[in-house]
Amino acid sequence: MTDGRTAAEEPYVLQVENLETRFSTEHGWLRAVDNVSFNLPKGKTIGVVGESGSGKSVLSRTIMGLLPSNARVNDDAKVIFEGKDLRQMSEAELRHIRGPEIAMVFQDPMSSLNPVMKIGKQIAESQIVHLGLSKKDARNNAIELLREVGIPLPEKRVDEYPHQLSGGMRQRVAIAIALACQPKLLIADEPTTALDVTVQAEILDLLQREQQDRHMTMILITHDLGVVAGRTDYVGVMYAGQIVEQADTKDLFQNMRMRYTEALLNSIPRLEDEPHKRLETVGGRPPDLVSPPPGCRFAPRCQYADEKCTEDEPPFGVGAGLTGHSFACWHPIQPAGGTR
Amino acid sequence: MSDALLDIENLVVRFGAVQAVSDVTFEVRKSETLGLVGESGCGKSSTARAVMQLPRPTSGEVRLAGQNLVALKGSDLRQLRPKIQMIFQDPISSLNPRRTVLDIVSAPLEVVGKGSKAERKQIVHDMLEAVGLDPDLAMGRRPHEFSGGQCQRISIARALVLEPEVLICDEPVSALDVSVQAQILNLLQDMKERYGLTILFISHDLAVVKNISDRVAVMYLGKICEVAPSELLYKKPAHPYTVALLSAVPVPDPTAELKKVALIAGDLPSPTSPPSGCRFRTRCPYAQAKCAEDEPPLVELAPNHQVACHFPLIDN
Repeated sequence: MTDGRTAAEEPYVLQVENLETRFSTEHGWLRAVDNVSFNLPKGKTIGVVGESGSGKSVLSRTIMGLLPSNARVNDDAKVIFEGKDLRQMSEAELRHIRGPEIAMVFQDPMSSLNPVMKIGKQIAESQIVHLGLSKKDARNNAIELLREVGIPLPEKRVDEYPHQLSGGMRQRVAIAIALACQPKLLIADEPTTALDVTVQAEILDLLQREQQDRHMTMILITHDLGVVAGRTDYVGVMYAGQIVEQADTKDLFQNMRMRYTEALLNSIPRLEDEPHKRLETVGGRPPDLVSPPPGCRFAPRCQYADEKCTEDEPPFGVGAGLTGHSFACWHPIQPAGGTR
Repeated sequence: MSDALLDIENLVVRFGAVQAVSDVTFEVRKSETLGLVGESGCGKSSTARAVMQLPRPTSGEVRLAGQNLVALKGSDLRQLRPKIQMIFQDPISSLNPRRTVLDIVSAPLEVVGKGSKAERKQIVHDMLEAVGLDPDLAMGRRPHEFSGGQCQRISIARALVLEPEVLICDEPVSALDVSVQAQILNLLQDMKERYGLTILFISHDLAVVKNISDRVAVMYLGKICEVAPSELLYKKPAHPYTVALLSAVPVPDPTAELKKVALIAGDLPSPTSPPSGCRFRTRCPYAQAKCAEDEPPLVELAPNHQVACHFPLIDN
């Protein structure tokens, strides 16, 4: 996610501008995504990190145009994918984008797979529809894809149903489906949250390998900063519907500026810590997005907040001396250098 | 073994053809937290439920302060049940959505017939306060009005209201965000100190287990493969499986070398036909002929450090 450059200088696969997604609820309009802008350079992986309810999944669904009927997106929002604004496209046009151009992997592989369709058919389906392959070719491709994502005995597995596979294997199948039409952009929405740590490491390795081999651009959505650390080029941290800090991954971890990002990082238990070490927590809860507090949205939970924070909303911008590292805070952590 | 509050000996749990827990022996000492780690399907939840006698184990003994729960029946067992309580992974589905928090947390008190209605309300009030909820706001509400972390606090309140000696936690933070996970882990630690609890803590995440546990037992396909104090297990893991689990924990530092999982890829073998000899050998990078023939027993490698491996990694 980089700022301040135009599309002419660098080929961006995706450019999001002033995106606001609101949901109509009985209490009023809920601002799930609020004024989000970012650019994704081709072939890079971007991590989007935030707590439950921070708007990261709504953001990805807005990009895909997969929103429920009570959602509204502002008219001046732009979601430019390879030069074309997806917001201006009809549903029929979007159907040619979803799958062959932008594919998605979801959190729960059991509910994202069709339980009554053989997995081979689920992988082949999009190739038949979008690429016009014959059934036979699509089936052979499906077997190859299953082999590629690390499923043993793919010739046999291709005729099995999702319930015959373990959670990790199902997620591999979901990845094979997403990769079937060679998408340019892959959105992985908490792809490992429902899985064991050993399987999580394998799935993340697999996604990383596929992203590099296919020169795909990837958005990796997670609530765990540990997951994005070694596997992304850029990170955007979301809080209460807004991106509050974004930077090159190494820079983010080394020169963390937002108190919220720091709090998220410190809440992760670490192997090298002593047993029973007290974990740092963020007190309170995320704000009500129907009527968010004035000023900085994190201020009610921030121990450094003062009057200014509760009155004026901090602008999201690039900090002095740090190229491309943006954040929204009146009292940022002073960059000291070094890790952590 | 004199300080063991909970003694589990030769525990076997079988569901039809599946042997979920195969001859497991361990102890939980008084006032300690024992972490039980392993992947999905390794039998850790079945072990926990067998300790609760829900359902009863196929064979083996579960002794609480010397009393074998497996041999107890009817009212004798019921009298001991308040001493062992449990919390579960999914806090929302483990609470009855149609009842208020007051009903939910006071239900255990009603079952054992403790106190009058007013007294029970007072106990619930104090308990909710202890777990960090505002009792006056919470008591009249129903579970759907709370977040996942708050529901887990309600579950903890319900489990502790009978003042148990042992608390069994089955993946209590796996469904929660990292920020909420930290709150619940801190709360469990506070509760342990405040009520003198002994905890059996089950999880697949070694970093979480290390944070909360005094000792850790690693389980693989129905068997215990390593037991050690948590610091020692992290510094000197002896079983190749423990090493693999440790290397799978994501490190929140982009400059750290990404450790690839030292496992031979693949799933847990089926517990209906476990591999001969050492059960881990099909995924173990160090497996040799002997591993397929003889099953390695759980032996003492050093004081307080047991491992079940023919070729333990003692040099690292």
